Amino acid sequence: MAAVTEVTERAVLAVPLRRVWEVTSATDRYAEWVHGVLEVTAHHGTAEVGRTYSECNRTVGPLTTRSTWTVREIDPLRRRVDSGTGFEPMHGMTNIFEFRRLTFDDGTEGTEMTYSVRYRPGLGIVGRTIDKLQQPGLRKAFQTSMRNLEDLIVAEGDVAADDDSGATTP
Amino acid sequence: MPSSASTASSPASPASARNTDVVVIGAGLAGLTAARRLVAAGHSVTVLEARDRVGGRTLNHDLGDGQVVEAGGQFVGPTQNHVLALADELGIDTFPAYDEGAAVYVHGGRGTRYTGDIPPDLLALPDIGVTMARIARLTRQVPLHAPWEARHARRLDALTLDSWIRRTTLGTGGLDLMNAFLGSAYGATAADASLLFSLHYIAGMGSEGVPGTLERGIGTKDGAQERRFVGGSQRLSTTMAEQLDGRVVLGSPVRAVEQDGRGVTVRTDSGAWTCRRVVVAVPPALAARIHWSPLLPPEQDALFSRLTFGRLMKCEAVYDEPFWRGDGLSGQGVFRAGSSVCSMFDNSPPSGKPGVLMGFLGGRQWRAWAHRPAHERRGAVLRAFAQVVGRGALRPADYFEQDWTTEGWTRGGPTAIAAPGVLTDLGAWRDRPFGRVHWAGAEHADYWNGYMDGAVRSGRDTARAVIEQES
Repeated sequence: MAAVTEVTERAVLAVPLRRVWEVTSATDRYAEWVHGVLEVTAHHGTAEVGRTYSECNRTVGPLTTRSTWTVREIDPLRRRVDSGTGFEPMHGMTNIFEFRRLTFDDGTEGTEMTYSVRYRPGLGIVGRTIDKLQQPGLRKAFQTSMRNLEDLIVAEGDVAADDDSGATTP
Repeated sequence: MPSSASTASSPASPASARNTDVVVIGAGLAGLTAARRLVAAGHSVTVLEARDRVGGRTLNHDLGDGQVVEAGGQFVGPTQNHVLALADELGIDTFPAYDEGAAVYVHGGRGTRYTGDIPPDLLALPDIGVTMARIARLTRQVPLHAPWEARHARRLDALTLDSWIRRTTLGTGGLDLMNAFLGSAYGATAADASLLFSLHYIAGMGSEGVPGTLERGIGTKDGAQERRFVGGSQRLSTTMAEQLDGRVVLGSPVRAVEQDGRGVTVRTDSGAWTCRRVVVAVPPALAARIHWSPLLPPEQDALFSRLTFGRLMKCEAVYDEPFWRGDGLSGQGVFRAGSSVCSMFDNSPPSGKPGVLMGFLGGRQWRAWAHRPAHERRGAVLRAFAQVVGRGALRPADYFEQDWTTEGWTRGGPTAIAAPGVLTDLGAWRDRPFGRVHWAGAEHADYWNGYMDGAVRSGRDTARAVIEQES
């Protein structure tokens, strides 16, 4: 069996942990901030252990793949672990978000986010070569995603003061 | 909303009805223009307006400090001579929409600066060129006064604009960019409108002796987005209403219109008016909902019922300064498929302070975002703005939206569009008077159909027809 590869990136987001947790827990919203997710094709709303959601993901150039994720672990405001299928030749795909509350010098709240994936490259040496080639892109994509997440939360403003009573889900 | 819109009291009997020469239903640009002309011709006129304001699809939003920004129709440009002449008569100046610096084309989440009106999409350019050339050729074959008499009219009206573009282009670039335009122009996509209707709409983007062109419709400089009205476009209507000196009755939705050989009775929740003629200047789909006695001719009822509005929301973010101007950006953006808005503009008042960015969320984008929680939609719009002007757009001092589908006396926007088959089967009934009832409105214009200029033209033409009938 091939060795497990782990790719991890960390970023400090200038937005509160409560909002980061809310948005990362929304299984219908990954296309809005996760780089490479073109569309969420099925979801179950706020993440629940044991339930699934599906995506259409960009792979190389115009090529796409369909993936399905299962929520495996939720430690509120700290950690979320999902396992995914549909990324062949990578197997045993596991996605891990970890969070830590920060307080900046000016007293405002921020969040340290760690974004990791673990997987086993398939196809022997070919797969390992592909894996080495893709890792820099993955790291960049994780950083882009975390910046997107920060921008999304900043742009949505003070959600507590927002009246969403008229909103419906079609 | 007018308080009387929700509850109806007993209608007045004809014996207690007030009498006037002409009742105008609707105090938007068309209705007020017609009323003004009729009064000038010596007729007594009452304008009945359902809302508690005038202006119809024009609406000013107060920015404070005496500044306003438009939440409804706002742009004017060359060949829109009637609304410009009206503004001149009313003493309302125009100013150029901000157009200095580069626009940004957003495709696949990536922004590219450009100048001119055609986005720099190399792969899409051939399709755009082919589509525009073919549209230019076909629009010349469409008689503006009777598009159903165009050569091959039935064939052109059997297709949607979408299916025609797909047939005549290789990729999706031309279609995507047409939809970026139609998102704001129709509040819909090319799949919602008949090809013949779209050709007629584009052929009308001109004036007598100046053929309509798509370039004029999409353009800023020398195009339909070239100028705006000082004090906001609603000022046209508020000024006309002031001049009509008490003849405009607000909060009076018309429920029924009854006519016979002697005259017409118009019933509202608060009373009735008897008159010799009626000008109906409300959107066609709302006109069809009035109780008519006798009933509207079935063809006219079917036509008006099918001329429903697109779906459009204007989303505007207010900043202390138009910071993008210092970066050499015009604040204009065009978004190819996949974004939350279809196009955006610098909508700052003429003083340039505060800075305002305005995005159209229409058609497909409206469907995707209108029902999402307000904060999620705001976030999506501001992130789209940030793709054009940078991350400074993410933190506005204020943000507001005007969803025209939630206006009970408009029910969508910006204009009514005809699906395949409607124009050839029913189009001839659009302006045909129904006894003593005449029709006006932006949807009743051949030139600049759906625009402020079309509304003013239609109001003027309908008033002229009524005056002729009464003389």
